[in-house]
Amino acid sequence: MADTANPDQLLVQEIRQGKPDAWTNLIAQYEGRLLAFVDSRLSYGKRGAFGKRGRRAASEDVVQDTFIGFLTSLPNYDSRRPLESWLFSIAAHKLTDYLRREGRRPAIPLSTGDGSSGNWELAGKARGASSIARSGERQGLEADAIAEGIEQQLERWQQAGDWKKIKCMELLFVVGSGNKKVAEQLDLSEQQVANFKFDFLERLRKIVRSGRLNEDVFPDLHET
Amino acid sequence: MKQQFSDAELEAYLDESVSAARLASVEAALREAPELVDRLATIAGRRDAGVHSLGAIWRRRRLTCPSREQLGSFLLGVLDPGHTAYLQFHLDEVGCRYCNASITDLREQHAADDTLASESRRSKYFQSSAGYLAPED
Repeated sequence: MADTANPDQLLVQEIRQGKPDAWTNLIAQYEGRLLAFVDSRLSYGKRGAFGKRGRRAASEDVVQDTFIGFLTSLPNYDSRRPLESWLFSIAAHKLTDYLRREGRRPAIPLSTGDGSSGNWELAGKARGASSIARSGERQGLEADAIAEGIEQQLERWQQAGDWKKIKCMELLFVVGSGNKKVAEQLDLSEQQVANFKFDFLERLRKIVRSGRLNEDVFPDLHET
Repeated sequence: MKQQFSDAELEAYLDESVSAARLASVEAALREAPELVDRLATIAGRRDAGVHSLGAIWRRRRLTCPSREQLGSFLLGVLDPGHTAYLQFHLDEVGCRYCNASITDLREQHAADDTLASESRRSKYFQSSAGYLAPED
């Protein structure tokens, strides 16, 4: 059932019914940002030979594949998920395929270790794949719980105008910068960064424990 | 100077979700450093095995990405200074590709000379995909 307050859900519902006007609307709304997303990557640092027009045509081809990919994957699309994010994720896949074909992006082997076990095990944790293997549904619930915990903290900081804490966590966990670099970048002491990080992670650990989730699948929660 | 990449950045590379400049740096380094391919393979394997990273959840759920309306307000300069500074940080320092793409699109929408080109593209996308448009069972 579509949420009538959500225009994207209504649009998708009409597309599921095969309505061409709805499909035209979706293309009009999203093609510009998808093209900018793809083009920023294909045009970066490229000059000469292929030419600007050729690169633009290649970007448009990737966007075209994205829209076709959206329609063919529509039965799998959960309309509670933000439409823009779903389209960007399809575009990223199509872009990756294109870059591999062009030889710009190397294929990443799933395992470089000998044998079938791979080399993904976490350092310092004597735990193998089979002991934490679980369903996709379970993994989704785990991600939902952590996302909700992060969102609660972000909302609190945003309401308080505490943008520095948001920047601090984003640099630590999204960019992956170390405490020292974050402290320098945000004009904080390393101790302040460590304290913010501890409080943030402690709240997330509590959520994981109260949800009876396995802490081992969230190695970041034990960062210092 | 040899480039250093965090695991979070390499994971974002797998998702195409950091700036084009940083993605190009990773690709250049991958050509020269086989050990970086091993690191990427380890990260990909860890994800496939269901190990979560906070950065991946944050990026995929776009927990700090502004709404389209907020990006519009940012361009118009009507957000409060703290929020404006934060969005500038999100675009430049974090290098969010989705939000940078939206900003580029919003700017281009305001450029009148793009109208004909975009109409032509939209028509092409519709023609090439409409054959897949069918009522679901």
